[in-house]
Amino acid sequence: MRSTFMGLEASKRGLFTQQSALYTTGHNISNANTLGYSRQRVNMQATPGFPTAGLNSPSYPGHLGTGVEATSIQRIRDEFIDRQYRQETNKLGYWESRSNAISQMEDILDEPSQFGLNAALEQFWKGLEDVSTNPENASSRRVAIERAAHLAESFNYMDTQLKTIQGNLGNEINVATDRINSLLRQIAAINKQVQEVEPNGLVPNDLYDARDVLIDELNSYIPISIERVPSGGNASNVAEGSITISFKSYSTGDPIVLVNGKNYVAMNTTGEKSGPIDSNDLTNVFKQIEISDLDDPPTKPAAGAGVKTIKHNDLEPGKGKLLSLINSYGYGEYDAGGALISEKGYYLETLADLNKLASTFANTFNEVHKGGFDLNGDAGVAFFTGDGGTPETFTAANIKVNEVLKKNSSLLAASSVKGEEGNGKWAIELANLQSKSIGAGGLTITVGTNTVVIPPSTEHLEGATFNTFYQGMIGKLGTDGEEAYRLNKTSESLLLTLSNNRDSVSSVSLDEEMTNMITFQQAYNANARMITVVDETLDKIINGMGRVGL
Amino acid sequence: MLSNNMLLNLNRSYGKMSKLQDQLNSGSKITRPSDDPVIAVKGMGYRRDLGRVEQYTRNMNEVNNWLDSSDESLNQIGEQMKRVRELVIQAANGTNSIDEREKIKTEIDQIRKQFQEVGNTKIADRYIFSGTNTGKPLFGPETDANGNKTINADYTNLLDNTVVSTTATGDQKVSAPNGEVKIEVYDGLQMQVNTPGADLFGNLDALMGKLSNLLDPKRSPLATSEEISDALGGFSSTSTSDDITTLHNKVLEAQADIGARQNRVEMMENRLSIREISVTKQLSNNEDVDYSKAITELVTSESIHQAALSVGAKIIQQTLVDFIR
Repeated sequence: MRSTFMGLEASKRGLFTQQSALYTTGHNISNANTLGYSRQRVNMQATPGFPTAGLNSPSYPGHLGTGVEATSIQRIRDEFIDRQYRQETNKLGYWESRSNAISQMEDILDEPSQFGLNAALEQFWKGLEDVSTNPENASSRRVAIERAAHLAESFNYMDTQLKTIQGNLGNEINVATDRINSLLRQIAAINKQVQEVEPNGLVPNDLYDARDVLIDELNSYIPISIERVPSGGNASNVAEGSITISFKSYSTGDPIVLVNGKNYVAMNTTGEKSGPIDSNDLTNVFKQIEISDLDDPPTKPAAGAGVKTIKHNDLEPGKGKLLSLINSYGYGEYDAGGALISEKGYYLETLADLNKLASTFANTFNEVHKGGFDLNGDAGVAFFTGDGGTPETFTAANIKVNEVLKKNSSLLAASSVKGEEGNGKWAIELANLQSKSIGAGGLTITVGTNTVVIPPSTEHLEGATFNTFYQGMIGKLGTDGEEAYRLNKTSESLLLTLSNNRDSVSSVSLDEEMTNMITFQQAYNANARMITVVDETLDKIINGMGRVGL
Repeated sequence: MLSNNMLLNLNRSYGKMSKLQDQLNSGSKITRPSDDPVIAVKGMGYRRDLGRVEQYTRNMNEVNNWLDSSDESLNQIGEQMKRVRELVIQAANGTNSIDEREKIKTEIDQIRKQFQEVGNTKIADRYIFSGTNTGKPLFGPETDANGNKTINADYTNLLDNTVVSTTATGDQKVSAPNGEVKIEVYDGLQMQVNTPGADLFGNLDALMGKLSNLLDPKRSPLATSEEISDALGGFSSTSTSDDITTLHNKVLEAQADIGARQNRVEMMENRLSIREISVTKQLSNNEDVDYSKAITELVTSESIHQAALSVGAKIIQQTLVDFIR
């Protein structure tokens, strides 16, 4: 026999369920602009019909419905798109950071312009030509020397600026590592909450969303893989479980677990020399990332136990912001035994090129200048000074015009013969150094009986002239920059497409929510009306029956 | 999603417009090497070429300065040589009185002084006939017993190739007075711009001294007409040098040499100006903005941008919310 009040009960269930759906719609609308929020859906299910099957159950024609229940609230998300999205974040992280580093270098080298190193060289050669046409004129000599000073200062300036940015990049590596550590800690913390909640049958959708945002960000720093570990107990079938995050070495393929449940690791950068990377010591290039033991909080590995490390070759090329920063800043390359082979890095190599240019330029120019004679009839002195040692070494940082020349312009050796003030032939040779190719074979300069031989040296420009060598540097920078910008843009577009795909699944569409709102509201109203109907029928029975004729 | 797309497209269109604006403002297709590495590197090369051409053109001015001044000076010498010849012919006339000879001598002495002054011609603080010793005058400041300036001691040294110092690379001889002043006028091409004056002016001065001596009324015995006319040179002359004709020819020769060099300079100048035009053209083809194209593109992107904005505004303001009451 059915219950008299069964209709009330079924409608009440409908009221409650529609109400939950309405509230969930409200929750969705509230979070329409929340980063990483996935819209949620109330999974509705009809409650078991009446009567239920059983030996003693009343025999009854048909199976009467008893209403609805909300079985779970699930977030709408496509894991496959997430995976694609994260692969692309990897690349975007790398190329974004790289194009940033290159763009800063472009700003400093400032080519093509009238103020870069190329222009400074140009001006200097022109100054020497002017000296050659007016060798006895102090003002033309003064101009040439001042231009040399400007050239030397251009070298110094570029060196300082490039090093400043290199230092900033080093700092950024540390900041990135700190951020990675913080992300790992937060993910582990969410894992912990999830593990506590899920066995009770609850589905913490909002925690999942927060965790996915963190994983997205972590992926832009380093490429990682994730694995779901279901929570035990009475977990709901839509529960996602805790997440294990591991990093897979590119060179060896060995995985390193970064987060497992509530346990996580901490990363520390180590420089080639010792200690962490430090922007004040640029020679301390990146060696490896040391990884602590997995724990909550992470513990230092026991003394004597092998420390897990991530070296440069463990990071997959072209992926992740961290690798890009390391590539730009400078890193050590190691052989299988762990011995340092060479130091590499974009800024490091550009600085090395600049040093090579400065050093070859100063050495060659000095040697040739010493072969000429100044206004006083003395042989030329060293035109540029470097570290002051013997033999003097020059770098872009220390190249300077000899102080003596700055004070006394007559010391510029413009003459090919002793004691001839109107002889500017040596100045012509000095100016013509601009078109001399500086190769391994050295250089011989002859004017009349005056000959200067620059012996073959290990340091040369592979047959380029000073200007073309610098042009080559700029050309390389340009092509690298072009590549970085292009790939950055491509990654950005791809990421946008993926992000759109993801949004089309997960994001809150106000139109849809409004439609749902109306649906649920009307359903709620209808349920309420149903109760009124039942109320009226009951009213008939209770108050109207048995009162015939009254 | 729609709004994300719109935002990205708007940003891109801003980026494009800003790039076009950069191009229009700077007049250059590229502002950084990564815009187009090939253009950037080629541009650096062209700019260097252009710089060199400009420098050579500047050097040309200097060359012209030298050649013109030398030509002008030698021209003066030539004119005066004619006068000297007239005077000597007049003096060779046996009927001249002592007084007349004295007057001729005075004029010869004056001309000698003028020659010395011409020999000391300066342009911009440089003695142009002193070879590479441009800081020292050819004549003076020392004087001889008669108060005439004498040729600089260095130059007499030169004539017998005196060794003034010995260095590791060999003997250093004073070659400066006959030294060539050279100016670079093109890649690896140097042009001599001076006319070495030590020999020419030295001999001229010696001749003038000799003439003055010949005409000296105090000379004993007085020079005969034959002796004087010998100094004229020419066919009847027994002397092979140091006569007026030979020296006049040398002056003319030097002038002709300068003239030839001036022709060369003119040709060089033409070549340089053609080269300048062609390099400038290459430079401009390489990196200058095609204004009509850039402006058209800018206008196009502006209208696209505006369309995007107005469409975007329409999309964004409308949701179902606006229609539910």
